[in-house]
Amino acid sequence: MINKTKNSILKRWARGIFRVKKALIGLYLIGGFIFISVIGPLFAKDPIAFLGTPLSPPSLEFLFGTNGQGQDVFAQTVAGARQTLFVGFSTGFLVVIIGAIIGGCSGYFGGRTDDLLSFLINIFLVMPGLPLMVILASWLPPGPGTLIGVLVLTGWAWNARVIRSQMMTYRNRDFVSAAIVSGETNIRIIVIEIMPRMLSLLASSFIGASIYAIGAQVGLEFLGLGDVSSVTWGTNLYWASNDMALLTGSWWTFIPTGLSIALVSFGLTLINFGIDEATNPRLISERRWKKQVPQHLIEAGITPVMKTND
Amino acid sequence: MSLYLKFIIILIAGLIFQNCESEKKVGKRDGLIVYQEAQISWARNFNPLSPAGSTRWPTKCGIHEPLFIYNSMTASWVPWLAVNYKWNSDNTVLEMQTRKNVFWSDGKPFSAKDVAFTTQIKKKFKALDTRNSWEYLDKVTAINDSVVQYKFNRVNVPGFDALATQPIVPKHIWEKVEDPVKFLNPDPVGTGPFTEILRFDNQIWELGKNKNYWQKGKPHVEKLVFPTFPSNEQVTLALNSGKLDWAGAFIPAVERVFVEKNPEHHKYWFPLTGHTTFLYTNTKDKLLNNVEIRKAISYAIDRELVVKVGMYDYTEPASVTGVSGPMSVWHSPEIEKIEDWTKYSREKASKIFEKQGFKLNKKGYRLYPDGTPIELEIIIVSGWSDWIRSAQVVSQNLNKIGVKTKVKTYDFGAWISRMQKGDFQLSIGWTEKGSTPYNLYKGMMSPDYLKPLGEVADVNWHRFSSDKADILLKKYEQTSDEKEIERIIYELQKIFVESAPSIPLFAEASWAECNTTYFTNFPSAENPYGTLSPNYEHENLFLMLNVRPR
Amino acid sequence: MNQSILFLLRRLGFYLMAAFAALTLNFFIPRLMPGDPATIIFARFRGKLKPEAIDALRETFGLNDASLIDQYFSYLKSILSGDLGISIAYFPQEVSSVISGALMWTVFLAGTSLIISFFIGTLLGTIIGWNRNSKLDSLLPPTLAFIGAFPYFWLAMLMLYLFGFKFDFFPLGHAYSADVSPGFNLAFILSVIHHAFLPALTMVLVSLGGWMLSMRNTLISTLGADYITFAHAKGLSKRRIMIKYAARNAILPNLTGFGMALGFVLSGALLTEIIFSYPGQGYLLLQSVKSQDFPLMQGLFMTITLAVLLANWLVDIAILLFDPRTRK
Repeated sequence: MINKTKNSILKRWARGIFRVKKALIGLYLIGGFIFISVIGPLFAKDPIAFLGTPLSPPSLEFLFGTNGQGQDVFAQTVAGARQTLFVGFSTGFLVVIIGAIIGGCSGYFGGRTDDLLSFLINIFLVMPGLPLMVILASWLPPGPGTLIGVLVLTGWAWNARVIRSQMMTYRNRDFVSAAIVSGETNIRIIVIEIMPRMLSLLASSFIGASIYAIGAQVGLEFLGLGDVSSVTWGTNLYWASNDMALLTGSWWTFIPTGLSIALVSFGLTLINFGIDEATNPRLISERRWKKQVPQHLIEAGITPVMKTND
Repeated sequence: MSLYLKFIIILIAGLIFQNCESEKKVGKRDGLIVYQEAQISWARNFNPLSPAGSTRWPTKCGIHEPLFIYNSMTASWVPWLAVNYKWNSDNTVLEMQTRKNVFWSDGKPFSAKDVAFTTQIKKKFKALDTRNSWEYLDKVTAINDSVVQYKFNRVNVPGFDALATQPIVPKHIWEKVEDPVKFLNPDPVGTGPFTEILRFDNQIWELGKNKNYWQKGKPHVEKLVFPTFPSNEQVTLALNSGKLDWAGAFIPAVERVFVEKNPEHHKYWFPLTGHTTFLYTNTKDKLLNNVEIRKAISYAIDRELVVKVGMYDYTEPASVTGVSGPMSVWHSPEIEKIEDWTKYSREKASKIFEKQGFKLNKKGYRLYPDGTPIELEIIIVSGWSDWIRSAQVVSQNLNKIGVKTKVKTYDFGAWISRMQKGDFQLSIGWTEKGSTPYNLYKGMMSPDYLKPLGEVADVNWHRFSSDKADILLKKYEQTSDEKEIERIIYELQKIFVESAPSIPLFAEASWAECNTTYFTNFPSAENPYGTLSPNYEHENLFLMLNVRPR
Repeated sequence: MNQSILFLLRRLGFYLMAAFAALTLNFFIPRLMPGDPATIIFARFRGKLKPEAIDALRETFGLNDASLIDQYFSYLKSILSGDLGISIAYFPQEVSSVISGALMWTVFLAGTSLIISFFIGTLLGTIIGWNRNSKLDSLLPPTLAFIGAFPYFWLAMLMLYLFGFKFDFFPLGHAYSADVSPGFNLAFILSVIHHAFLPALTMVLVSLGGWMLSMRNTLISTLGADYITFAHAKGLSKRRIMIKYAARNAILPNLTGFGMALGFVLSGALLTEIIFSYPGQGYLLLQSVKSQDFPLMQGLFMTITLAVLLANWLVDIAILLFDPRTRK
């Protein structure tokens, strides 16, 4: 029985997502960028070599032109994807893991554990993130490890709280009481019974945290708090700004990286939309009855709850 | 809804038109708008003696004035509040004669007593003695209203520099101040050309001219205006839109970014100062303690590329002597005969490494004789992008000859801490400066500054010392004879080039821009009566007194 | 009613403990950073100081050799008496005076941007949440999401360049222009609005999508509630249902978010202030970090944390007042 529910939940989930157009676009975008970040550097020029005349516009030789030091902007954009995406997704992943553990335990066990862990979560929630990030990033040695550490430290609490409240609602449901009564261990209940149902929440937490991580990382690097001798999207923008990109009219040093960041974040957001539409029962049924009811009869605000056969 | 929409449209249109109107004041400008310090908000602090360095510019070099000003363009001392000076026969007593008919901005007369007082207050409050003058001074008195006598406790002729450039404060005001270290001096009284605080808000402040200034008819400008500019980008935007008249900022690609917008009036001048930016080599490091290796590293560096990529071709490769530009007068005539290890040559570099026993491994990287791979690190302050770029070129150069090198950035506090403790291998930094190369060579080679690794050393980060140089340096301090000074400098230069304590990288340039739409008679290459840059204290006084409205 | 007061007091207790934890953290973090301010200042000066002079300077900065515990307790004592110490970067100005000027501008800029963004976003969210099949619903969320996906500073710089530099519609920075004098006069107020327009616009654009979406989502879930169906059945006008019942209930969870965002107003405007040269706290924070100005850093961190806690507590009170369900 357990296996069947897990499989059917996953299957339903996967099917649901791929049916939603928005999520598909998002998946293609993200997939595309990941592909470029892995394969791209093998084909592009050396991003740190000083190859051409500084600040020359896009040409056949340099697809995105050169930056203030004569380096190939296209190569830099491609190379920059790697670390930016790596730090972004690692942070997202760690945030979800930590959030699931702390939030999950807090919501499930309740009582003293909940008081303690909730307190911890609330303290971190209330701590001003950006100043803390700035202070820590400038103190610790620059590099991706520092960035991940700082971002996780300032960002885990929000997801933990959300996971906690979701856990609390599940805790009181019948299937959990049944599992307890039938003698299942807590760990088994949490991991096997509850977590699969929280899949959409965990997935959108991962995505939300990754979006946050990419944005915050780029911001810190723009301020010069990252490792400026590495090639990442954030440091590319840092150098572009240092070289007065806009004032010299060198839009090519600035626009490609900014667009890439926006497309990745946007793609992730679309996937989140998709997850939401695929798993929110109200929205699922909405898609169904919209097809059946004529347009003019759709009364704004009424959302009939339909029975479905899943 | 439509009403709201209309309202919003009108509001936006109004704001746009308001901007067009208020900026139409072309033609005349009553205040010279200046950028020198990067701040987001002004703090009212005009204490020229403050050790913390958080006083408003130009407190020390505009509100207050020194006794002599060193003009780097003409390489000479210009009498200012003092008219001449004299050493006694054994260089133990220095006398300066102060100028007559100088008045403080509150009308009271200036005299030698103010000079003596200023020097003495630094003895009383040790935190104010930032140039460490009392290390060699014994007593300072005003013999009469126009002669100050400095009695030295040991012969130190170069000590003149610190005493001559001291900004003088009025005795009749400061003797009443309880704690001059923390004193904010909000309404300063000085002898300088600009002393009146006309306006002080947290976003803008204005410094009006001193009606009692001792150079009659000057300054020609009514006031100096200081808006806040927290970043280089803001400075450049303001310069371009004609909202700044005088600035000392590093602007990348200055021709394209600044001059092209208005070639008639947008001017810049980045002359060499004579000093050099160095690649510091920690001589206590197991690889870098070898003088041949240091020279080899120097050979490996393509300085033209460093200057092109790191400094936008604003400067030039360094001279092996460590001084260039206006200080080239100090190049010894023998210098042609000595090996110049600043000339780019990858072959020579590789050959030396091979000869010294640092061979290439199979992957193309060099190893120590015992087989461990060489790994060098260049540390730079994060945010100093021109030096970061330069370091990146150097590291690429070294990697090309097989020496694995990386660049690492640190926040200023962490960087300076490492440099001072000797916890580094390579870094880029400034050197000691003065009117002659004495300060440079002393900082590079004097055992006086040598501290062991781990102890904080303010100078001589590379931990090198030469006894031969020491003898010469001590001789220099004893003499005021010009011929003798020249001879000693040439000798020191020879030792420096032979022992390569660190590597001169590129010549230092000063940064300055000006807008001649509303003001004229700025210094320039055609009219080098002083430096254009506001970043050189006391020298900027020449500009302040000669600039005039159109 | 007693329950609610108890609840508020319990929350207050939590906030006080959080404040204490934050202050302690605030004390330790700067001291763990390498290098100390006195060294940095000498380095900046490049002056050769005698040991006595260095020590004298250290004394003036309060960097004495007292044990960490002693320093901690004297730190707590001075905080409670409102003495935030003397800034090092702005020596010898007091930290409280350095901060207070900047605080005002940050609150003004970030506060008004937040309020405008929340207001417009919530309004838009209500509209499209209600008319879920309209063109607006398929257009707005992705558009605003895309705009919000750009790094904030990127958009800000672009706008500054286009509207401030190229087209000269708006000033390049600062909070007000040099030729007006601060005070309660029309010229000053207009100048302030003029200068705040671009920074506020960029802040609003980037956050608009977020508010709109969350309002839309809560509205959708609210609309499924029974009492809405009942209201429809009873024949109440659509407009009335939307405003008086649905929106009013849907806005509650968003108010929590708004409250939290209000607290973070003091820290969030950092990038804006740097790009637009706006004389606020954000830039001060960056500068204090770069010059290792412990007192200023601590002062800023503390004001921000306390503001966040205060905002949270006020939100708790507000929710208690507006949502009868919590009063149980």
